[in-house]
Amino acid sequence: MNPMIRKELRQRMRERRGWLLPSIYLLVLGAVVTFAYFVTTVDRGRSGIQGSTVGVVLFLTLAYAQLTLLLLLAPIFSAGAITIEKEQRTLAGLLTSLLTSAQIWWGKFVASLLFVLLLLVTSLPVLSMAFAFGGIGPWEIFSATLTTIIILGCMSAVGLYCSSVFQRSVHATAVSYATVVAISVVTAIVFFVRLQIYESAHHPATQGWYDIPLNIRAPMYVNPFFFLTASFAPPKQLYPAWITCACVFLGLGALAVALTLRNLRRRGDL
Amino acid sequence: MIDVEQIRKSFNGTRALDGFTLHVGAGELFGLVGPNGAGKTTLMKTLSTLLPMDSGTARIGGLDVTVQAREVRRLIGYLPDQPGVYQDMTVREFLEFFADAFQVKGARHQAAVQRALERSGLADRSHDSVEQLSFGMKQRLVLAKTLLHEPKVLLLDEPATGLDPIARIELREQLKQLQEEGITILISSHILSDLEDICTQVALIGAGRNAADAEGQSVIPLHAAQTPVRIYEIELLGESAPAMNVLSSVAGARLLESGTGRLVVEITGADEQVAALLRALVAGGVNVVRFDRRALGLEERYRLAFERRGP
Repeated sequence: MNPMIRKELRQRMRERRGWLLPSIYLLVLGAVVTFAYFVTTVDRGRSGIQGSTVGVVLFLTLAYAQLTLLLLLAPIFSAGAITIEKEQRTLAGLLTSLLTSAQIWWGKFVASLLFVLLLLVTSLPVLSMAFAFGGIGPWEIFSATLTTIIILGCMSAVGLYCSSVFQRSVHATAVSYATVVAISVVTAIVFFVRLQIYESAHHPATQGWYDIPLNIRAPMYVNPFFFLTASFAPPKQLYPAWITCACVFLGLGALAVALTLRNLRRRGDL
Repeated sequence: MIDVEQIRKSFNGTRALDGFTLHVGAGELFGLVGPNGAGKTTLMKTLSTLLPMDSGTARIGGLDVTVQAREVRRLIGYLPDQPGVYQDMTVREFLEFFADAFQVKGARHQAAVQRALERSGLADRSHDSVEQLSFGMKQRLVLAKTLLHEPKVLLLDEPATGLDPIARIELREQLKQLQEEGITILISSHILSDLEDICTQVALIGAGRNAADAEGQSVIPLHAAQTPVRIYEIELLGESAPAMNVLSSVAGARLLESGTGRLVVEITGADEQVAALLRALVAGGVNVVRFDRRALGLEERYRLAFERRGP
């Protein structure tokens, strides 16, 4: 086993946030799902709402809330991973050992991702509530989970890249959050503004997603919430939206990995 | 064991190393001294494979530090000027992690960790958190860590900084012992008395180049056979001015310091030059009370090298 992974996991689980963050995460997630349940079922008696509808609402609420929370938490684990070694002056010790840059990166990445995945797993009891109502199947759960993992893997890689660039954790974390906001919010704003301009100028009513010109919808392919939305499509309809998003996120992650490894090569400014 | 030839390294146009050359033989405990910003840390980082050089060559144990970096890392133990520790690990966990990082495997693993614990004097504190150790103990722990994979060469960048006198004495003893075990040690330090005590030779570095002391030596042998010293201290009866006049007329003699009834003179050349100076002083009517050859300490050589001529 890569000694970096063992070291990282040991250190992370000893930190106070090792138990504090999962606790807060579950509390928030539980509150959101409970709120969604009561909002959905408040007039159940009068409208005769189906259990499957409740299940779908709870599942969608859970999926988006979970992604939002994990996008907010991922930079905490990844953006400080390399800067902490610089701050406590231990990076030189790692780089002059026989560990390769790739091993150091992999150890940091796996530890960051595993902690986020731990949060994903701890939310399973909450997910089982939605599952119990029906309306969703294993495919939806699988594709939503896989999509969330791809997004988090990419964001962890981006966080590690920020961590390799900056000397201080606070700067790396700030830039990681800026990246999360850019891909989640800015892309959506750009898309909707350009769509409004397009529709008002030329085509009053676009009938569907693919009626929108590619140059207008392009920013959404890097939007994690759109990626998650695309994952709810049936298996045969994953192309091109989900596949495109997956390629974009995996490409972005790969680029972040390459740049991080370049930055982690032997450097004197440690 | 360590061969550095005309090494150059710049940072944003500023030359940190500017053609520095160094040769350290196997088993030597070799000192490196120079003022702040002279290039000592840059040299150490280059030799430890952390920093690529712009030009020149550096070899350790015959291995090129640029081309064969991984093999070099197997050969060296590097202690940076401000080494860090993982505060939230226990002492044993810290050593075990670095034993893994240096690929010390199997039965050698636990043996290496145990030896490091004993070497650092922390065997009875192996389950304590690193955070609980004193600064000196942490320094000993980090030095023990660098020895886990049994390196042939140690690169120590200011290892005594911040240590109390007892810890410094312990460090000196440990380094002498490591030298006796056959490890080649290159150590940079500002604590010249420590280097004088333990080093076989000391190289002077200034502005990234080989600097020379008052005798023109850039490498000062410390524990070698008696070296020719050409610095003389002269005590006079009365004023120094007449003696200084005589001095200016003697070939190879140069005034280094002067005070009331006292001169320090550098004499270049053979013993005949020394005799000629003494004869000239007496013939010139100078009342010489004492005429002593002075063996310069490292501290004085350092001062003469960097204070008088600049780095």
